[in-house]
Amino acid sequence: MAAVSFSQIQKSFGKTAVLHGISLDISDGEFMVLVGPSGCGKSTLLRMLAGLEDITGGTIAIDGRVVNDLDSKDRDIAMVFQSYALYPHMTVRDNMGFSLKLRKDKPARIAEGVARASRILNLDPYLDRYPRELSGGQRQRVAMGRAIVRDPKVFLFDEPLSNLDAKLRVAMRSEIKALHQRLKTTTVYVTHDQVEAMTMADRIAVMNEGRIEQLGEPLELYDRPANLFVAQFIGSPAMNVFEGIFKNNHIEALGARWPTSARAAEGQSVKYGIRPEHLALGADGIAAEVEVVEPMGAETEVLVKVGAQTFTVMTHGRPTFGPGEKIRLAPQAAHAHLFDAASGRRL
Amino acid sequence: MNRRLLSEAKLWLIAIPVLLWTLIPIYHIFLFSISTKDSAFSGALWPKEPTLRNFGTVFRQEHFYLHHFWNQIWNSLWIAVATGLITLLVATCAAFSISRLRVRGGRTVMNAALFTYFIPAAFLAVPMYKAMGTYGLLNSRWSLVLAMVTIAAPYAIWVLKQASDKLPWELDEAARIDGATPMQLFRLVYLPLMVPSLVAIFTYALLLAWNEYLYAFLLLSHENTIPLAVGLGHFLSSDDSPWEILMATALVYGLPPAAIYYAFRRYMVGGLTSGAVKS
Repeated sequence: MAAVSFSQIQKSFGKTAVLHGISLDISDGEFMVLVGPSGCGKSTLLRMLAGLEDITGGTIAIDGRVVNDLDSKDRDIAMVFQSYALYPHMTVRDNMGFSLKLRKDKPARIAEGVARASRILNLDPYLDRYPRELSGGQRQRVAMGRAIVRDPKVFLFDEPLSNLDAKLRVAMRSEIKALHQRLKTTTVYVTHDQVEAMTMADRIAVMNEGRIEQLGEPLELYDRPANLFVAQFIGSPAMNVFEGIFKNNHIEALGARWPTSARAAEGQSVKYGIRPEHLALGADGIAAEVEVVEPMGAETEVLVKVGAQTFTVMTHGRPTFGPGEKIRLAPQAAHAHLFDAASGRRL
Repeated sequence: MNRRLLSEAKLWLIAIPVLLWTLIPIYHIFLFSISTKDSAFSGALWPKEPTLRNFGTVFRQEHFYLHHFWNQIWNSLWIAVATGLITLLVATCAAFSISRLRVRGGRTVMNAALFTYFIPAAFLAVPMYKAMGTYGLLNSRWSLVLAMVTIAAPYAIWVLKQASDKLPWELDEAARIDGATPMQLFRLVYLPLMVPSLVAIFTYALLLAWNEYLYAFLLLSHENTIPLAVGLGHFLSSDDSPWEILMATALVYGLPPAAIYYAFRRYMVGGLTSGAVKS
């Protein structure tokens, strides 16, 4: 186990800079998720930590030792790839034992390591099968087994669940989380899926265009997004955002007055953000027209229109209204977020 | 249903002439080889008295032109296998370093390899003769092996490079993280996955050398060093060539490649076309 420290990391491919000075400290045993849209540099950052990409500037340290010039194999890390990257010509057993074999461990030790990992991951029945004879979820478990066997200082996951179907993804999510709780190995996990990030992480680094937009615990990002990008990226369904003017402790927009407990300069142009579950449907409030009602059982997602703006509303009840009907929206002032219209920063 | 029949019929209309076109010469070889000297040119589709005596003559080396038959077929085999192995070694290393290790100048090597095919091999025969002479290799089987490797290697490199490119890049990265050195990556991951293409390329180079005449004729001139292809050519030096024995020898000569091709046919088609299309 070890702490990982990125310091002023820069990366350019030719003349294109993709990472602009990233600094990030991951503590020992932490589950850190790097999340962001594709092309934000999260995978590049992970691959630099893995030693698969050169570092243009800055330093990476594992357990206090700068690893910039170390080969992947000398960094004591293990990585799980999106495509599993299992060796097709080796059995599950040989796949998992490969790193130990390269390390010239004794056969008995290799067998012991493989047995331990396969017990943890319930892979015992598949040890003599080839990867092509396994399902996607089993392959992913073998890939994880290959990582566990080495007992590395840091686990790296590069979008490991993207190739699985939705149901399996949820199951594997819990499995990885449980694995981490059991092994307590420092983990860096890259995903573009904010739900994965929210559910698995100890802390999340939200990345965009080669920078970290915000770093924090999942609910901290959810409750207090530092800027518009994080506000709209974290949360599903996404936060409702529109532009308005701050006047008399309210936001004037879309022909209505929106309550907020946040403060801005009088007359300032702001973005007003409110999450779907913080819009109550009631007798009083802002007039809206129902567009679509999507019942999901426990909750109901309602799309409504105020002026030209569409809002998503999440409600626990089972509303009786249908499309075209007029209803009223009551935003919870304490949960309204204000962002500077120009910079997008939280006010 | 009728439409399908029609399109199948069209295919047969093309296939049957092509098949006959291919098979008739082979049938003729066979016909000659089981005929007596007198009936060889009778023009009949089946000899009146088919005989296997010609094969006996060949195997017992009982004809003037065949006094070194076993020696020459051994030369053919030796040269073909050596060519196959060396081509494989050269091309695999080149393909691995260009495709997987991404060495600098890899593209240039690939282009240069392709460029060699702009010059017909026949034009290079005389320079090659000169070069082998300089190195004192003339009349050694090695001269032909080296010449054949020169001719086979560029194509072999191309095919193997294409096949290498198709292997997922993540495998190399996974192996690197697992602690593999480039040599271990080559031996433990790359080679096992390339087996179909390697077999195809080995067979290709082997058959190329086995069938070679021009270079063999030029570089080797001693009865004991020439391969059978050149030995067969000697038959034509007499006014009254023993065709039936020539054809019997030819048939024997043609069997090993046919057997090799048959044994590896699965790899040949798969290996040579892999990388050509997205699977």
